[in-house]
Amino acid sequence: MAKEMIAMLLAGGQGSRLYALTEKLAKPAVPFGGKYRIIDFPLSNCVNSGIDTVGILTQYQPLVLNEYIGNGQPWDLDRLYGGVHVLPPYQKASGSDWYKGTANAIYQNISFIERYDPQYVIILSGDQICKQDYNDFLQFHKEKNAEFSVAVMEVPWEEASRFGLMVADDDDRITEFQEKPKEPKSNLASMGIYIFNWDILKKYLSEDEADSGSENDFGKNIIPNLLRDGRKMYAYHFNGYWKDVGTISSLWEANMEVLDPEHSGIDLFDENWKIYSRNSGMTGHKINAGAIVENSMITDGCRIKGTVKHSVLFAGVKVEKDAVVEDAVVMGGTVIKAGAVVKHCIIAENVTIGENAIVGAMPTETENGVATVGTGITIGDGATVGPKAMIRDDVKGGEVQC
Amino acid sequence: MLNTNMNALGIIFPNSYDVLVPDLVNVRMMASIPFASRYRLIDFILSSMSHCDIDNVCVMANNNYHSLMDHLGSGREWDLVRKNGGLNIFPPFAEKGNKPYSGRVDALASLLGFLRNQKEKYVVITDTNIVMNFDFNTMIKSHIESGADVTVAYNEQELPESLVQSKSNDKGFYYTFGIENGRITKIYVNPRETGVQNFSMNIYLLERELLIDLINTAFVRGQAYFERDVLLPNLNKLNVQAYKYDGYVARITNLKSYFDENMKLLDDYNLDSLFSGFPIYTKIRDDTPTRYIEGAKVQNIMVADGCLIEGEVENSILFRGVKIAKGAKVKNCILMQGTVVEAGANIEYLIADKNVLITAGKEMKGTDTFPIYIGKSNTI
Repeated sequence: MAKEMIAMLLAGGQGSRLYALTEKLAKPAVPFGGKYRIIDFPLSNCVNSGIDTVGILTQYQPLVLNEYIGNGQPWDLDRLYGGVHVLPPYQKASGSDWYKGTANAIYQNISFIERYDPQYVIILSGDQICKQDYNDFLQFHKEKNAEFSVAVMEVPWEEASRFGLMVADDDDRITEFQEKPKEPKSNLASMGIYIFNWDILKKYLSEDEADSGSENDFGKNIIPNLLRDGRKMYAYHFNGYWKDVGTISSLWEANMEVLDPEHSGIDLFDENWKIYSRNSGMTGHKINAGAIVENSMITDGCRIKGTVKHSVLFAGVKVEKDAVVEDAVVMGGTVIKAGAVVKHCIIAENVTIGENAIVGAMPTETENGVATVGTGITIGDGATVGPKAMIRDDVKGGEVQC
Repeated sequence: MLNTNMNALGIIFPNSYDVLVPDLVNVRMMASIPFASRYRLIDFILSSMSHCDIDNVCVMANNNYHSLMDHLGSGREWDLVRKNGGLNIFPPFAEKGNKPYSGRVDALASLLGFLRNQKEKYVVITDTNIVMNFDFNTMIKSHIESGADVTVAYNEQELPESLVQSKSNDKGFYYTFGIENGRITKIYVNPRETGVQNFSMNIYLLERELLIDLINTAFVRGQAYFERDVLLPNLNKLNVQAYKYDGYVARITNLKSYFDENMKLLDDYNLDSLFSGFPIYTKIRDDTPTRYIEGAKVQNIMVADGCLIEGEVENSILFRGVKIAKGAKVKNCILMQGTVVEAGANIEYLIADKNVLITAGKEMKGTDTFPIYIGKSNTI
């Protein structure tokens, strides 16, 4: 039985600009928004859009991601036919290869796609925070009788040269593609989400593979080749919330935006488009007498005795007496001991912040860095971690790191 | 399993003591009463069993069991989806002339065919009105070491007033034990003694073959109650051992104790005592984290995920998806899943069942000794 459309989710990226946060896990597995991981967004979008078959292409540090995805049950993707499949590179009769590029990753899994004989394939990226209806995108693709469509966002003209840009005519047909140009002719940035007719995708992947000079990348090779051949290519306008959380500051910012859904446009609380995730299984959170909690998100298992303002706390975070947490993203299982001050920073999972330690600082005109503490680190009692710091090793008591 | 002696099958009676909390079981049963901000009572016993590798569990649902079916589903959340065993729900077999189970003997008699075909050596029988994090393996070990025919768990506590003051037996039966050298020599039915007693937790452990024999005999004689009719007359013949449980125990014996046992968990010591053992599993609802808006004032509260809090909340337990609007005041309350408290409302000592709406500006106050209960889906 053929599937109309299946999804291929690119989750192999290292996310090197997230430094300490992605040392032991792939970027799509980075925790986000109190109880999610980044990959929950594209996966939930798939399920909410009616896509029940998803291939997840992994390569870099897949351990956490593999365990997290499991059989796909939290996303309702444990299916008899289809469902979620993790697809690492594998050895073939004729040798083996790592995924050389985004296009090569899909190429190496052509036989996976063919099992479902789809008409369309949607290529998704595992490092974006976005709530998007892929079914609406597919309807657009069909209406235009397109062979390839790409989801685009209007970005401010002054920032346009940071993006891959689609130049399109009045009918949204793409006439030109510019990769991070100095002089942008368009402000339609590609979101890296594509719908292909399967026959077209297969043809271009095979041709691209045969080209030894190719970098096997969708943006650099496949899309230019489609343009060269005058294929029917269309730009689908998306105007909801979309954020590439590829840097520490954008990840921090996106977490803060979750706290203000009325203005930021990212509404996790919408019952009609739930984001699913694997559950921590902890008991309800507890806020003690004397604690102050304002403008924050608190998750199951947290114990709050200190002050928490404008922060996102993941499952099982402990904030002890007289500790202050402000403008911070604190991931699961972290303990902030008595009197510690944690501000304007990202603290990864299972970190211990010692008594009276200081991590990060509120931004000033000259300094607005987001201090970052990696997974499992211990910051000693009375230590100081400056706003620009990126902590990958334990910091001893009283030590200062900037 | 590596050690087949440790092999046990679980039988749970989810309707036991329903009569003690008529309000709370109006639309459900004891087992599915919400507790501790995100659980249902049965979660504690099911999770305990699951952690002790008791993965063949029978739930003898008698009536009002839709909420329980909905909650348990296939048993996945408790890791009880198995090819062999797993979670089985046994409602009364609807046949001409058949009635709901009249007692444990009746219910177990209907299960005899199933029991004969199982492989486990032991059977554990429990109710659901006790909240605990129970280690069945220790009990099984003690059973084997003592060479008992039957082992019964108890804890030392005073009898709850609600039971002692009950004028008749229509609130069901409860038991205390006389114990000599670990062996139960006397079973007191509905005693009214004051002071600390050996209070039965109604957790029974015995070999499956023995259970089948006992039930066969009792059923033929038309007997109804396992403790009164089966154990009590056989105390001379059977070696019935008492197993003392020292862990945290919260018994639900009436609406007041339901309120108190919830509130007790606001004390960190109690909370840690109950939850420091195995994790307790429950049905997943995929809520967001709870959101506290600027201006929210909260003190001493336990809150599940998915809540939205703008007002003032003190000494309270909030279940999943509760909304407290700006200017609302909530003190000493238990608000179950989906309760909405609108702006300016002021409530104290209230137990709001699921999806209750307290409209703007309403004031409603119970007292410490008499909390007000508001039924499911009501609007005030």
